[in-house]
Amino acid sequence: MRSPPIVLAVLALATASCATVPQNRRARLADPMMNLNDEPLDAYRRHKLYDTREGAAGGDGTAAGGGCGCE
Amino acid sequence: MAAAASNRARAGPSATLLALALGVGAGVAAPSPARADDAAPLSDERILGTTGSGLRLQSVTMRATAFDQYGHGYQSQAGPVLGPGSERATISEGQAEVIMKQGDRWTHRVWVPVDVVSAASPDAIDNGPRSADVVSSASHQVTGGTFDWTATYKVDRATDLSARNALHLEQPFRSWNTGLTATRSFADECTVLSAGVIGLLDWFDRFDVTGHRHGETSRSGTTGSVSLTQVLTPTTVANVNYGLTVLNGTLGNTWNSVPLASGDRGPELLPSQRVRHALVGRASQFLPWNGALRGYYRFYADDWGIVAHTVEGLLMQRLSAAFYVGALYRFHTQTGATFFTTLAPVDAPLQVADSKLAPLDSHTLGGRIVADFPVAGGVRALHFELGVERYYRTNDLQMNIVTWATGFRF
Repeated sequence: MRSPPIVLAVLALATASCATVPQNRRARLADPMMNLNDEPLDAYRRHKLYDTREGAAGGDGTAAGGGCGCE
Repeated sequence: MAAAASNRARAGPSATLLALALGVGAGVAAPSPARADDAAPLSDERILGTTGSGLRLQSVTMRATAFDQYGHGYQSQAGPVLGPGSERATISEGQAEVIMKQGDRWTHRVWVPVDVVSAASPDAIDNGPRSADVVSSASHQVTGGTFDWTATYKVDRATDLSARNALHLEQPFRSWNTGLTATRSFADECTVLSAGVIGLLDWFDRFDVTGHRHGETSRSGTTGSVSLTQVLTPTTVANVNYGLTVLNGTLGNTWNSVPLASGDRGPELLPSQRVRHALVGRASQFLPWNGALRGYYRFYADDWGIVAHTVEGLLMQRLSAAFYVGALYRFHTQTGATFFTTLAPVDAPLQVADSKLAPLDSHTLGGRIVADFPVAGGVRALHFELGVERYYRTNDLQMNIVTWATGFRF
């Protein structure tokens, strides 16, 4: 599996391209619409929907295979 | 001022503590009086006031969701012996989340989701008079609940450590998971790096495809992940996440069945290990007309032969200071497990007919409206959200979803 080296390369590139945006220019980023993730309770119900109806759960920071007899 | 000081002195430390506790309990950090002529240097505590060590409520959120599912799958016996059976189910799900601060460094999140699922298991083994009910008659409506507690400690301005524990109970099924996450920000919080590990243990009753119980079985899993979030411009933020999950043990629910070439049904035969990789990229872009676009891509691969790609777009538009609306589209495509079949030879070493492990595409279309009202008093803001989604899977499964959330921010 070649994923780990790819991930490290992506991380290195992302870090290298970092340009600091001053705090006082981040007002747009504070808007709730700009959240990268769903609100946690909404994320849970979406994760559960997809985890139990598609065969591609887990591996992205959330537990897979636990907490549901339908796995 | 002198009289007040004298009164405080007479009241003693217990009264001072009580006053402090009441102030904290009301969610108000009363500022300490600071006078220009005070000789002592100004500290953060003197300017902002002390928050004490008690628990202070930050938010309470509740969400209710209803799922209405129709479809068929070859693992279900609610149909012809060799044909696909019904996967009809309705699910009612309630969730409650409370977030509390303790002192300056601790944050606690307590979260309790409860699911009530109709026809969760009887459809899978409903095969005439020789079948026993998989759990009891109660399995016609399975109730499962979780208690989940995450404690986060702020080590310094840039570093957080989180510990999470959760216990899940469902009639024939118990699960425990525990995890640790470390998060550190760099470059004036422009870059956030996070790494975590989660361990889980499930133990559950082992049933055969006719619903008879044969003791207990278990599985365990470990997930490791690393995540990088980067502010790219004043209107763009992006994140990349890689995760690896290794599962061991009984990796099915034991009662799903497989149509056999002999004209009967047999059990799923699954490997005892599964290694899963996922790479996720996501980005949010603020749009000049007071909107936002969020994009998501996920690549997934495992050693059962499933390779999946998922893309999602969420377009949001602010209508006023309090309201915004959003439209969602998600597309998922996957190959099937190498041992997926709808008619297995009698001596197959591995076999599964579970429709979610088949080659499939799925589409989700949805919309949401969100409102955040600032209010005066003890509650700082009220949050409301209504969402509607339609899920459609190409191998005969569809679902309508309605979700509603109410939140209080203190």
